Amino acid sequence: MFDRDVWQEIFNTLKTNKLRTFLTGFSVGWAIFILVMLLASVNGMQNGFVGQFNDDATNSIFVRTGTTAKAYGGFEAGRRVQLKNDDLEYIKQSFPKDIEYISARYYSNTIARYKEETGSYSVQATHPDHQAIEKTLVVAGRYINEADIVNKAKVAVIGRKVAEDLFKNEDALGKFVEFNGLPFRVIGIFTDDGDDNAERRIYAPISTYQRIYGNTNEIASIALTYNPNYDLTEALEFSERLEILMKRRHKIAPDDQAGLNVWNYAEAFNDISSFTAVLKGIGIGVGFLILIAGIVGIGNIMVFTIKERTKEIGVRKALGARPIQIVNLVLLESVFITAISGFVGLLFAWMILAAIGPMIETPAFSNPSVSLSVVVTATIILIIAGVLAGLLPAMKAANVKPIVALSDK
Amino acid sequence: MIEIKDLHKSYRMGTNSLHVLKGINFKVEDGELVAIMGSSGSGKSTLLNILGMLDGADSGEYTLDGVPIKNLSETKAAQYRNKFLGFIFQSFNLINYKSAAENVALPLYYQKVPRKERQEKAMKYLERVGLKPWADHLPSELSGGQKQRVAIARAMAAEPKVLLADEPTGALDSKTSYEVMDLIQKINDEGNTILVVTHEEDIAHMCKRIVHLKDGVIVEDKKVEQVRAEQYV
Repeated sequence: MFDRDVWQEIFNTLKTNKLRTFLTGFSVGWAIFILVMLLASVNGMQNGFVGQFNDDATNSIFVRTGTTAKAYGGFEAGRRVQLKNDDLEYIKQSFPKDIEYISARYYSNTIARYKEETGSYSVQATHPDHQAIEKTLVVAGRYINEADIVNKAKVAVIGRKVAEDLFKNEDALGKFVEFNGLPFRVIGIFTDDGDDNAERRIYAPISTYQRIYGNTNEIASIALTYNPNYDLTEALEFSERLEILMKRRHKIAPDDQAGLNVWNYAEAFNDISSFTAVLKGIGIGVGFLILIAGIVGIGNIMVFTIKERTKEIGVRKALGARPIQIVNLVLLESVFITAISGFVGLLFAWMILAAIGPMIETPAFSNPSVSLSVVVTATIILIIAGVLAGLLPAMKAANVKPIVALSDK
Repeated sequence: MIEIKDLHKSYRMGTNSLHVLKGINFKVEDGELVAIMGSSGSGKSTLLNILGMLDGADSGEYTLDGVPIKNLSETKAAQYRNKFLGFIFQSFNLINYKSAAENVALPLYYQKVPRKERQEKAMKYLERVGLKPWADHLPSELSGGQKQRVAIARAMAAEPKVLLADEPTGALDSKTSYEVMDLIQKINDEGNTILVVTHEEDIAHMCKRIVHLKDGVIVEDKKVEQVRAEQYV
């Protein structure tokens, strides 16, 4: 393979047919270019979609209730289902191995006032675990902790926008703000890179809110994350178990999604994954079809080259060249053209992606790029393609009868 | 060296079959210089191709240096050709993008001789045909006679048992023809077995034995007094 004579021959044929070599090489380079660009685009879409969901932990599950749509277990349809604190405890105790974080949610609205500034904000009363589930980024102070829950402390974690609105240039941390007339101490400020609206929110201990605003043990919904080691099937299987259990507990028909709904992020994620997988498949498919055209082009040129060199091959065989040596020569030439032109295509695609990829940042499309594995795969494909392109012509060359080749006197 | 018994060969031309060799019996001893003569279509080239293992016989026996040549695979035939035979063609058949020295070294390449040794040997044989100063020239920069001398050097480089020359002077003027024949005679003087296919009487008489072929059979096989080509050079 690293024989000087072989390479000398290859370079000679390529040199004497520069335009021909360039044109054929171009088709393969172009094919690889398109293949890489397609894969990068799909990758970009995937990045975009994933970015949309980045707000929340991707392993979260939400349990929500509503009004039953079906009569079940002696109850008529239209019954309101209400989650309570003991539902949370019940889930916690039923699935100790499956659950990573769990928190109840209690929604409320509040008119918040600090000095002269007032504003209306939504309040989510939660447990400490909620920070991990919602991936809340506390930039100052702290999040709600267990002590706040136990003490029913009047504390709040406010969004950056809330702090800006109410406190202007003052440091909000440790100050007291009035929620519907009751003083809450600001213990933390959070940001959210998802959107500004999320930063107009206030978190407070759930126990505090349950007592102040209704003195109940009712909760609006339960958010939890499952064991992060679970794969998709395990995750779906777990949310199904959870759903069955909760529906049984609240006497809701198993297929009644209105009464109680368990929403698993993994499912939505799965949908996106399969969507991008299909796109990727199409990308690879189209790329391959174009590549095949390139391969046929190279095969065509090799057939031509061999026809031109029939006599030379005959001479070589008369001088003692074994068929395998002829095959090697042709295959190596074919692989060489394919690989070089493919690499040029790859390099071009890669340079374009490296230059403009990071600048593309839209919700549905961001940072199109190719991974090393794609590059490695493309390289392997190229070499296989080169072999395929050269195989038939090589066999044809090996079968050249020296007598026929030499007979044209 | 060469022994042929009842060799037959026919070519299929569409539905017709053309019987080219109709039972050739023929023996060549070590160190002979044999001319195979015959008009066009007499089968002389076919015989040479079979002797050169470039083509297979339909029936009959062929023994080369004690080795039966029969049902060879392509690979085996290539090995035997490389080891036993050196070819000299009418149209020289040098590889046009290789220098004279590289052309001479080619059979050695297929013998897997190391590069350095190949170059040394190639130079040695180029010197023998008097073309050492032209070692780096491409075939296109050489005259016809020079090309044929390079081809002879190439045929000899692998040190074969037999040299097969198919109309070696066919493309050359008479002066260069004699030069080439002079070289062939000298190589023969050193004890090499050489077969020359020709249709020229004067060339044939520069050999030591003439075999006449007509319509696929040997009609005459005689020893002749060798005419030295040297005197015409």
